[in-house]
Amino acid sequence: MIPAKYNLRNLRVRWMTTLLTVVSTGLVVWASVLCFGLTDGLQYALKVTGHELDLIVLRKGATDEIGSGIEQKVAREVASLPGIAKDEQGQPQCSVEFVTILTKPRRNNGGTVNLIVRGLESVGRTLRPGFRIVAGRDIEPGKFEAMTSRSMAARFENLAIGEKIEVNRQYFEVVGYYEAAGSAAESEVWTDLRDLTIARKTPAAVSAVCLRAESPEQRDALVALLADDKRFQLNAIRETKYFEDQMNQANAVQYIGYIIAGFLIFGAMFAAANTMYAAVASRAREIGTLRALGFPQGSILLSFLFESVVLCSLGGLIGCLATLPFNGLSTGTSNQFSEITFSFRFGPRVLAQGVMLALVMGLLGGILPAIRAVRLNIITALRER
Amino acid sequence: MSNLNADETVVVVRDVCKEFHRDQLTIPVLSGINLELSTGDYLALMGPSGSGKTTLLNLIAGLDRPTSGDVIVCGQNLGQSSEGELSKWRSRHVGFIFQMYNLIPVLTAYENVELPLTLTSLSRRDRDDHVKAALEVVGLQDRMDHYPRQLSGGQEQRVAIARAIVTDPTLLVADEPTGDLDAKSAAEILDLMHRLNTEKEFRKTIVMVTHDPNAADRARRILHLEKGLLVSEVTDNRTRATVQ
Ligand SMILES: Nc1ncnc2c1ncn2[C@@H]1O[C@H](COP(=O)(O)OP(=O)(O)OP(=O)(O)O)[C@@H](O)[C@H]1O
Ligand SMILES: [Mg+2]
Repeated sequence: MIPAKYNLRNLRVRWMTTLLTVVSTGLVVWASVLCFGLTDGLQYALKVTGHELDLIVLRKGATDEIGSGIEQKVAREVASLPGIAKDEQGQPQCSVEFVTILTKPRRNNGGTVNLIVRGLESVGRTLRPGFRIVAGRDIEPGKFEAMTSRSMAARFENLAIGEKIEVNRQYFEVVGYYEAAGSAAESEVWTDLRDLTIARKTPAAVSAVCLRAESPEQRDALVALLADDKRFQLNAIRETKYFEDQMNQANAVQYIGYIIAGFLIFGAMFAAANTMYAAVASRAREIGTLRALGFPQGSILLSFLFESVVLCSLGGLIGCLATLPFNGLSTGTSNQFSEITFSFRFGPRVLAQGVMLALVMGLLGGILPAIRAVRLNIITALRER
Repeated sequence: MSNLNADETVVVVRDVCKEFHRDQLTIPVLSGINLELSTGDYLALMGPSGSGKTTLLNLIAGLDRPTSGDVIVCGQNLGQSSEGELSKWRSRHVGFIFQMYNLIPVLTAYENVELPLTLTSLSRRDRDDHVKAALEVVGLQDRMDHYPRQLSGGQEQRVAIARAIVTDPTLLVADEPTGDLDAKSAAEILDLMHRLNTEKEFRKTIVMVTHDPNAADRARRILHLEKGLLVSEVTDNRTRATVQ
C-alpha cells in the first residue's frame, strides 16, 4: 500500500488548488446540509403537529381554519358526539378554537408579516404535542393575556413577556412562553378563546373544533358522521392530512432546493475531478516510478481515490462545521397565510448525509482520474519530465 | 523459480524482437537479440540514440514484454507473466536507478528508501534496520530526514541507489545513471555501483545503459546496440561471451 502521507503531503504541497477544491466542496456540503437541516426541521414540525387520532372540524367547504367559520353553539355540540376521548376529569378532549390573522412587524425592521393568533381554552393546550410552559405562566381567561413560543418572541415585535400585543385596539399582555415539541403550535400566539372573540367582536362565531378520537375506528366513524350530518354542515379532516396539505407549497420549494443542490454537487464533483486529473498528469513520472518499484495497479487506484476522498472530506468536514452556528436557529417559511417557524435540525442523520455527500463526491470525482493513473503506461510515464 | 547460487544464470534473452505500434505504423525497435548474464555480471549497454537501449533494459527489468522471443530473468519468463505478476516480480528481484533519480519529492530520503519495503511483510523495526543500512552504504545516514529538493543531484542519485538495494534484489538496472551529473558526482556513483557489483556482501548483477565511455569502462562487459541489433561486444577475461 502506498503510504497515506504520500497523498496528504501532496495535498499540502499544492495547497492552493487543494484549498480551492476544499472551499468549493465545503460550500456545496454546507449549502446541502443547511438544506437537509431545513427540510428535516420542516418535516419534523409537520410530523409532530399532526396526531394520528386528532381531527380538525371545519365548516363544510373550508380547507383551512382561516377560511372556516362555525357558529359557537354548533361547535359546542360537537363535544357531545360519541367516540371522543376523555381526559382524567372525564371532560371530552374537544377544543373550540378561534383563529385570526394579524399583520405584525418583525423585529429589527424585518417588515410586517402575517401572524396567527389563536384563541383556545385550556383543553386545547393539552391537545398540542409536548405542550409545556417554559417561562412565565399560563394565561388566565378574562384578563386579555397572551402566550407564545420563545422563537416567536424573538422574531416579532411586542411578543416578549411583559410586552403587549394589540388586536383591534385591545391589548393582550404576554405572560408566558410555551413549547410544543417543535410543532406548528410554536408559530402561533395563544389567547383565551372568549377574550379573542370579544376583541374581534365576533362572540358567536369560532373557526374550528380540534378533537381527539378514542381510537382510529372512532376517528373514522366521526369523520363519516359529520360528513353525513346535514344539520351541522361540518367537515372533519384528519390532522395529519391537514398539515400535509398545508405544507405542499413548502415541499415545492424544497424540491427546487434539491435540484439546485444537485447542480451544485455536480459542479463540485467536477472541480474535484479536475483537481485530481491535474494531480495525475503532473505526477505521471512518480506514478511510473511507483509502478516500476512494484506497486500494483490496485494500490495506485486506491491511493488516488484516497487522495480525492480526503480532499472532499476536508470540504465536507468544514461544510458541516460551518452549519453548526445555525443549529436550532429558527427560521420561518410562509405557507399561504402565515409564517410557520421551525428550527434547523442538524441531527446525526443530517450530518451523516453531509459526510456521505462529501465521500460520494470524492469517490465519483476521483474515480476517473484514478483510473487514468492506473492505465498510464509505465514506460511512457517514466519518460515524462 | 530457481535458487540463485553464485555464477548462476540470471538473465536469458533469447531471439527477442520488440515492435511498437503507433497509429497504423509498426516500429521495429529490437530484432533478434540474444544475451545471457550470470550472477555478478556488470553489463554496459551503449549505442546511438534511438538504437533501443532503454527498450532492451525495460524488457530485462520486466517493465515491458517482448513482441517475440523469451526474456527469462531470475527464473521468471517475463513475456508470459501478467501485469500483476510482473509488479510482484519487480518488487522482489529488480532495483531501479534512473537518470533523473525519480525520488518522490514529498517523501524524505528515509521515506523514499523505505518505500519498496512497504511492499514486503517486514515489521517496522526490520524496515528501519534495512533503510538505515542502505543509507549507510551510500553514505547518507546523516541526510535521511532531508527532502529530495534539499539534496544535490549526486546525493539524490545515492538515495535512489539506496532505494534500489534496500530490498536486496538480484538485479540492478540503471538507465544513464550519470547522465545528469557532473564528473565528480558521476565518479562517486560509478564507484558505488562498482562496489555493489564486486563486494561479496552485495554481488549485484548490473545492467547499465550509458553514453559515457568512461562509465562503460567500469563494467565487465560492453555491448553496442545499433538499430536494434547487438553489433559488438567487449568483454574482460572474467566473462563468457554469449553474443551470437
Ligand atoms: N512506447 C513507444 N512507442 C513507440 N515507439 C517507441 C516507444 N518506446 C520507444 N520507442 C522507439 O523505439 C526506439 C528506441 O527507443 P529507446 O528509448 O529504446 O532508445 P535509446 O537507445 O534508449 O535512445 P536514447 O539514447 O535516446 O535514450 C526509438 O525510435 C523510439 O522512438
Ligand atoms: Mg534511452
